[in-house]
Amino acid sequence: MFRSWRLLLNLLPALLPAWAAAQSTVVTTDHVRAELLAHAPEGVAPGKPLWLGLSIDHQPKWHTYWKNPGDSGLPTAFKWTLPEGVQAGPIEWPVPLPLPFGPLMNHGYDGQVLLPVAVTLAPGSGDVDVALRADWLVCKDVCIPESGEFRLRLPAGAVIDAQAKRFEAARAEAPVEPPGAKGSARVDGEVLAVEIDGLPAVARGRTLRFFPELGGVVDPAAPVEQRWDGGRWVARVPLSPQRSESPETLAVVLADAARPGGWRVGVPVAGPWPAPGAPAPAPEPLPVPAPPASLAASMGLALLGGLLLNLMPCVFPILSLKVLGFAKAGQDRRVLAAQGFAYTAGVVVSFLALAGLLLALRAGGEALGWGFQLQSPLFVAGLAVVFTLIGLNLAGVFEFGSVLPGSLASLRLHHPLADQALTGVLAVAVASPCTAPFMGVALGAALTLPTAEALAVFAALGVGMALPYLAASLVPAVARALPRPGAWMARFKVAMAFPMFATVVWLVWVLGQQAGIDGAAGLLAVLVAVAFVMWALGSPGIGARGRVVLGAVAVPVLVVAVLWAWPGLDDARAPRAAVPEVSADWQAWSPEAVAAAQAEGRPVFVDFTAAWCVTCQFNKRTALADPAVLTQARGAGVLLLRADWTRRDPVITRELTRLGRSGVPVYALYARPDQPPRLLPEVLRAADVREALAGFPTARDGGPTSRSPS
Amino acid sequence: MKNHWKLGVLGVALLATSGAMAQAAVGKPAPAFTATDLAGKPVALSDFKGKFVVLEWTNPECPFVKKHYDSGNLPATQKDATAKGVVWLSIQTVPSADPKARTELQSWQATKHAAATASVIDDGSIGKAYRAATTPHMYIVDPKGQLIYAGAIDSKPTSNPADIAGATNYVNQALGEALAGKPVSQPVTKAYGCTVKYPT
Repeated sequence: MFRSWRLLLNLLPALLPAWAAAQSTVVTTDHVRAELLAHAPEGVAPGKPLWLGLSIDHQPKWHTYWKNPGDSGLPTAFKWTLPEGVQAGPIEWPVPLPLPFGPLMNHGYDGQVLLPVAVTLAPGSGDVDVALRADWLVCKDVCIPESGEFRLRLPAGAVIDAQAKRFEAARAEAPVEPPGAKGSARVDGEVLAVEIDGLPAVARGRTLRFFPELGGVVDPAAPVEQRWDGGRWVARVPLSPQRSESPETLAVVLADAARPGGWRVGVPVAGPWPAPGAPAPAPEPLPVPAPPASLAASMGLALLGGLLLNLMPCVFPILSLKVLGFAKAGQDRRVLAAQGFAYTAGVVVSFLALAGLLLALRAGGEALGWGFQLQSPLFVAGLAVVFTLIGLNLAGVFEFGSVLPGSLASLRLHHPLADQALTGVLAVAVASPCTAPFMGVALGAALTLPTAEALAVFAALGVGMALPYLAASLVPAVARALPRPGAWMARFKVAMAFPMFATVVWLVWVLGQQAGIDGAAGLLAVLVAVAFVMWALGSPGIGARGRVVLGAVAVPVLVVAVLWAWPGLDDARAPRAAVPEVSADWQAWSPEAVAAAQAEGRPVFVDFTAAWCVTCQFNKRTALADPAVLTQARGAGVLLLRADWTRRDPVITRELTRLGRSGVPVYALYARPDQPPRLLPEVLRAADVREALAGFPTARDGGPTSRSPS
Repeated sequence: MKNHWKLGVLGVALLATSGAMAQAAVGKPAPAFTATDLAGKPVALSDFKGKFVVLEWTNPECPFVKKHYDSGNLPATQKDATAKGVVWLSIQTVPSADPKARTELQSWQATKHAAATASVIDDGSIGKAYRAATTPHMYIVDPKGQLIYAGAIDSKPTSNPADIAGATNYVNQALGEALAGKPVSQPVTKAYGCTVKYPT
């Protein structure tokens, strides 16, 4: 007896390391506590369930990653060393959490997670000695690669169920493959259009999180546009701009934040994928809208939009010019008709030229939208100079004949057709920023079409705009309704100078929004100098000598004015004056502000606006400043945001494009993240806004919680 | 109503065609930027038109960056590239303006014998334009200003320096192909590493 005790005591030091090596199940670092757990509720035996799992307990704010870690990070990896005949399966990953970090998105776990693995034993297996080397990357704002070696002995036949709860919970957190669930996807430009049928009834109507198991395909940080079409989940998932993978089938995990676990569906992607780095092919025509029909519809809407352009405030001065032109042309119907066609040609050609430019810039990869010319302070200043010149001319300060070279002047005088065509060109230049109803949609559509069809849509827009004039020139009844020539014409001509100067006021105000008061003052100085030069050189009452003397003063004045104003107007150097107009009710827009509000469950109303957009300014001062609208929005907890596109802003341009528009105004109501935003009419009435807001309960009383725009 | 729907579909298709315009994508023009280098000199991407430019997102504190610098892998890649006339810009995106970041990056690069043409500290605007997600994250711009490579430094996404030997260095591969006038065989790969530290 004594001898055997002694023997045991002698052996103990030798046995201890072996025992310790066989049972080293916990690794603790500064950031996690990791433990290898086992679960064999029916005993460690062949044919019986056997699970091993690594439990990772994270320090607060630290996390490890899912199998597709998202924008950065690495998945936790296991390397098993197992006796012959023992097989460990893959990690059965619990559904991860979205872990946003700045503009990036990761998928992973915080708190406590168990990563389980199913183990199978070959017949005749005895005790199982398990060795695991696990590697994990643990991150907070810094990332630390860590690893641990774990050892565990599972005696043959032993029932191990101390961790039954953990393993059951892990099973509940793992996604299930719903029987009968079927998905399909196709690449639609830069978006993966996904449809999934047969998800369980509990998922219906819920906003689902979308986790592709393969990285490098979709943009993890981009919000997924989703909706339910009966029992079918329909989503548009933005592809990663730096997509590296082109899977035939993309396994995705969908989860409802409100319940554990999720659903896993293999989604076959209808090929072919465009090669990474190659331009996306034109999206496949969708089954319902046949392309010719949609082209006809776009052209019809474009025609209508063009017609309405004539009524838009910023075109009206030009319309006045046209009426003036009519009165001059007299009664000769052939001349009238020819002028009508010349004007139409001028309008259509300008629209085509603009479209060509737009398409060329699109090809060049520039993100821009309709009205973009007026986002450039130099363009605005140039337009102000042109309108000042027209106004001065109409007011009689100078005559074209005395300023332009003789041949050009006679071209204008003796070729009324060229004059008409030029009027048409001018009309288009001014009309472009005024996105009349229909026009935004038609333009958005046009930009998606192949070049030839896009040009057709733009041509329709031009024809629509020229149509009233053309009709008047062709049909005597319309033409006869126009006033007869007479002495009133001279007065009318001078009167027409005032709308021109009013337009200049508007342009100076736009420039002030873009380049601040210094830029606006610079422009005004240039305008005064331009007027001085025109008077000096062009006024009919000044003799030749007077012209030389005055010109010698006026031209240097203009040069100085331009040099002084230039730095304030230069696109690149002009200071961005536009401190976004924020008030108690309206805050500055950013995609983050929208996302944050939606995450809180707050609806968001966005006013996409620009100083140079007259319709926008009108709506802003009427419907959007209506006390009843503001009170109702406050009551419903709707966050009111204003996106100011006065100067180029790629983020706003992108959101407009996402909404299918390429111009402002756009009024979008983002009700819930799972619903596409609702667009309100461009000519907005307070009643429209109130009706749209009526859908929200007026649960909260106080004003919108002030959230500093990010 | 029906027409509106059709146009709505087209509008969404527009999103598809233009979504990539605003962000860096291989095969498209690389987003322009200007910055100040560690020596205080202005650096603009457009300064290097006509040359290949490598953009490298870095962070001296990141274990994945350390893997490639402590082993000498990235400095060697930099020397190789710059010897062939390639411009190499190392960019560190920092969460907040801290003057120390400059000096720290500078002294760390000196100890690692880094051979970048210039290095800049970015407040997040360049990173967002390129959608840089990890350190390291590598981009190559060709002499015409087109992005021809975006992704990882190499093919083994680990923090273990021992894996460098058996990995394909994607930057060497892409530069080799592009300098020889061939198309880049792997123009986009999945970058790996620490998260880029954007201002939050």
